[in-house]
Formats: sequence, structure tokens, C-alpha cells
Amino acid sequence: MSSRAPSRRVLRAWGLALALASVVLPALPLGSLFAQPPLPLAVLWAAYGWAAEDESGWRAPLTLAVLGLLHDQLAGGPYGLFPVLYLAAYLVGRGAAVVMSAPNLISLWGGFIFTTAVTIAVAALVAPLALGDNVSVLPYAEAATITAVLFPLVRPLYMSTSASMRPQPGLRR
Amino acid sequence: MARRRSVVRRAGSGRRIAPGVLLAIVLVIGGLGLIITQMTRSPAGQAAQQAGDGAAAAAGRVATGPARAGEGFLERLASMWGASERIEQLERENRELHAWRELAERLAERNARYEALLRMPGDAFGEGADISNSIAAQLVLDSGGPFTRTLVANAGADHGVRVGYIAVNENGLIGRVVSVGQRSARILMVDDYNSRIPVMGEASRVRAVLAGQATRPPDLYTAPFQMQAPRLDFIVGAQSLREGERIITSGDGGLFPRGIPVGVARRSGDGWRVALAASQQPIDFVRILPYVGIERPEDAPVADDGPPLTAASSFSSIGRETMAPPPTAPTVMPTQPPPRREPAPRPQAQTPSVEVAAPPASPAPAEPSQPEQQE
Repeated sequence: MSSRAPSRRVLRAWGLALALASVVLPALPLGSLFAQPPLPLAVLWAAYGWAAEDESGWRAPLTLAVLGLLHDQLAGGPYGLFPVLYLAAYLVGRGAAVVMSAPNLISLWGGFIFTTAVTIAVAALVAPLALGDNVSVLPYAEAATITAVLFPLVRPLYMSTSASMRPQPGLRR
Repeated sequence: MARRRSVVRRAGSGRRIAPGVLLAIVLVIGGLGLIITQMTRSPAGQAAQQAGDGAAAAAGRVATGPARAGEGFLERLASMWGASERIEQLERENRELHAWRELAERLAERNARYEALLRMPGDAFGEGADISNSIAAQLVLDSGGPFTRTLVANAGADHGVRVGYIAVNENGLIGRVVSVGQRSARILMVDDYNSRIPVMGEASRVRAVLAGQATRPPDLYTAPFQMQAPRLDFIVGAQSLREGERIITSGDGGLFPRGIPVGVARRSGDGWRVALAASQQPIDFVRILPYVGIERPEDAPVADDGPPLTAASSFSSIGRETMAPPPTAPTVMPTQPPPRREPAPRPQAQTPSVEVAAPPASPAPAEPSQPEQQE
């Protein structure tokens, strides 16, 4: 007897719900539980997962931009900072998907670690522009690092459960 | 086939860019442009932010409603089982507290007598703030981001909140209102990286600047303040700051009233940090104190017939209350004294105030009495 894996549409819906919750829940005064990493930056999972899963249409970047604007609004910061971070993660994820010819858990994890490192660098460049020179990128780096460590646990929400079964993004067509 | 149609060919090359990637690049450029346009803090951008705050605050009230309604329900239910033991424990604590209260009242009375003997001015909570007209509000949104530390309260311009008002809770200072919408206000917390608050030790009177760090208890910078105003009492004061001393706002700078409790000083390595009093428990309700910062005298000049603001006149201004007023016109023409054969050496440390304090009717000195230490 074999259990059927959830469809890609269901996984995508769960991933979107988690991404939305990760933006909204830390902003609600429900205690410090929801403000702890990885929740504030769990959208990075969605950005990388949708990019690596070959979501090359307009929906993924547009959804990430809207989530980023929502995050900006809730954080009280200037608009544009979080869309840039999330879309940077998406672009790096697309690049990683092209480079990886036969992705497995380790390579995907490594790709996500590289993606978070790039977003930290982008944050170091853009955050002072948006929020002033006094801003510290250290909290973002800490949250991004924890998000990277926990990536294998949530990978099934954004990618097919079996790497060999899903379409290989880096494969030549 | 659909995938092939979704891929556009870039002109002049054989490489293809997916529309999603192209859109992401455009959106990134748009986001950077958005950031740059908001660097000037235009009124339109702030109005959009405040309108968004209002909508988000309304959504936050709705979203947190059920959670607040059920808050502590399980704890209250569980506490019903041990009610009798709890009552006994509270009665025991009450008896002990009676003894402590008597001791505290005696000490407070003695302290009041000492202060009356020394004629010490009382330290009022939020001296200068309009505490009687404070506005109570509930927090409905947190910042939720890794960069900033702000809160959104459900009271805005309709309730009388203005930018610059002070937000406190029952334990101490939370922050300052930085943006006001119709029915919401955004509060910059004291641990935000943008927060710099002049504070002082309640007992030692050490002045310092509280600098927010966003992730950890705020640093208590004493050195920068001393460098800007290198006075001896500050150097001595910085050394006399004590572990566990209560830190209150000093009122320096005019943005915060004096005397609001901020926290407790804690030594951390080479520096000092403050364990914030407001964060002893989750911040839910806040009190917004009307307070308008003290404006500079240059911003609101008052017609004054005093002397002009020069170095020489400032000396006479300082001594105006303690000295006889100078004559409006010379009564006697100063006579030229006979030349001295051996003029007495002038004292080295001669303060300008002494020269100004010389009685005007005295004989004119040998040399013109212009202050020499003018800078």
C-alpha cells in the first residue's frame, strides 16, 4: 500500500499560506513566540522554493513583491526593502536552479544557504539606504541563518517530495 | 509547448530569459526606486504609510480579538482548583507586606524631612508632561521585522495623539510617537536602532545617552556624551554609576520629559546596558503622555531689552541678578589717573566677571577694563 504524495497545487497553497503567516503573525501582538526566527523571514523559503521548482511565470515574483510590500507596511519601514530582499532570493534561486543539473537535498540546501548569504549582502547594501546608516543587519543575518538551518524541514512545502521525481530545473531540454 | 511559449527570446542573442525572471528584475529595480524616492520623506509617502498603518491597525484589532478574549482563560480555569491554598498564601504575604509598608512609610517620612532640610527639588514622574490628559491605547501591531522596533497603538489624531508624545506603560518608558494616523499611531521603541534618549542615573545623576540596538538590551553610552560636553562632573559621574541603579530620562535635549523610569543599569563587559523596565511583561496597553518638546529660544524669540548677545554682554547677563545694575549713562567723566612709576603686576587668573562686577563709580583703572578672556 503506497501513500499518495500531495499534489503540486496543494503544496503550493500550503507554501503560500506559510509565507503569508510568516509575514503577518510576527506583526500581531500575540507574544514573542511568533516573532522568533525563522518566522519573520520564512518568505525566503517560498522565494527559493518557487524559484528552484521552476516557477518561471509571473505569479511567483508578483506574489513575493506583494508579500514584501505587506511586510514593509507592517514593519513601518519604507516601501521597497523587503520586496528587494525577497526578489533577490528568487533571482538567486533561479540562478542556482540553472546551475544545479541534478539537485538533491544537499545541493538544494547548499543553494539555499548561498541564497540567504546573498540576501544578507543585499540587506547590508539596501537597508542603510532605506533605514539610515545606524541600522544593523545583524538581526536579519541571524534570522536568515536560522531560516537556512531549518530549510530541509520545510522543503516538501515548496518542492516535490522526491527530488528525482520532480522536473529537473537544470536539465537541458 | 506552454513552457516554450512562456519563454521570451532576448533580441540579439541566443539566450532566453524567463518572463518571471524578467519581471523579478523589473520589480527589484522598482523596489530600489521606491526606496530612493522615500529617502526624502515626502508628505505623500508619509500619508500613504499612515493610511496603511490605519488599515493594518484595524485588521490587527480584528485578528487579535479572539486571541485576547481567550487570553489567560486556561490559567484562570486551572487556578480555580487551588483557590484555597492560594488564598492562604496571599494572606500570609499580606501580613508580611503590612510590616514592610510600615517600614517604607517611616523611611519615606524621614526621607521627606531630609529633602526638606536640603531643599531638594522633587523628582516628579515625567516632569513637564501632561499626565492628567494622558491617552490610553491598546497595541494592535508589532513591527514584525528584523530591522525596526516599532509598535502601532489604536489611538490616533482623532483621540488627540500627536507626533512627539511619550508612550509609557505601568513599568516605564516604551518609546515615542513618530507617526500618527486618524485612528492609529506608530511608536518608536526605545530599543530601536534609531532611538537615542538622554538618560541619567537616579541616584548618581550620571548623564548618558541610551542607544537602541534592536536585538539586545540597549547600550548605555557615557563616553560620547562626555566628549561632547567634557565637564568634570560627568567624568566623575560616569565612574560612580552603580550596578542596579535605576535609570530615568534626564530631560536633556527637550524631547523627553524628565524623570520617566527607563530601566536598571547593568554592567556588560566594558560598557553599561539597561534592562528595560517596560519589558518586564508583554506590552499590551500603553499610556500616551502629551508632551511637546522644549523649543529652542531662537525658534520662539521674546522681545527683550537686555544686552545684545555678545561675549562681553553675556558676562553682565549672568551677573545681573547678583550685582547692582549698571548706570544707563556715565555720571562722572572718568578722569585720567596719574601715571604710575611701577605698575602692580596683574593677577594671572582674573575672571571677567570680577571686572564687570567692579562698581561703576570707582576710579577708572590704569588700563581699559576690557575682558581678556573672550572666546
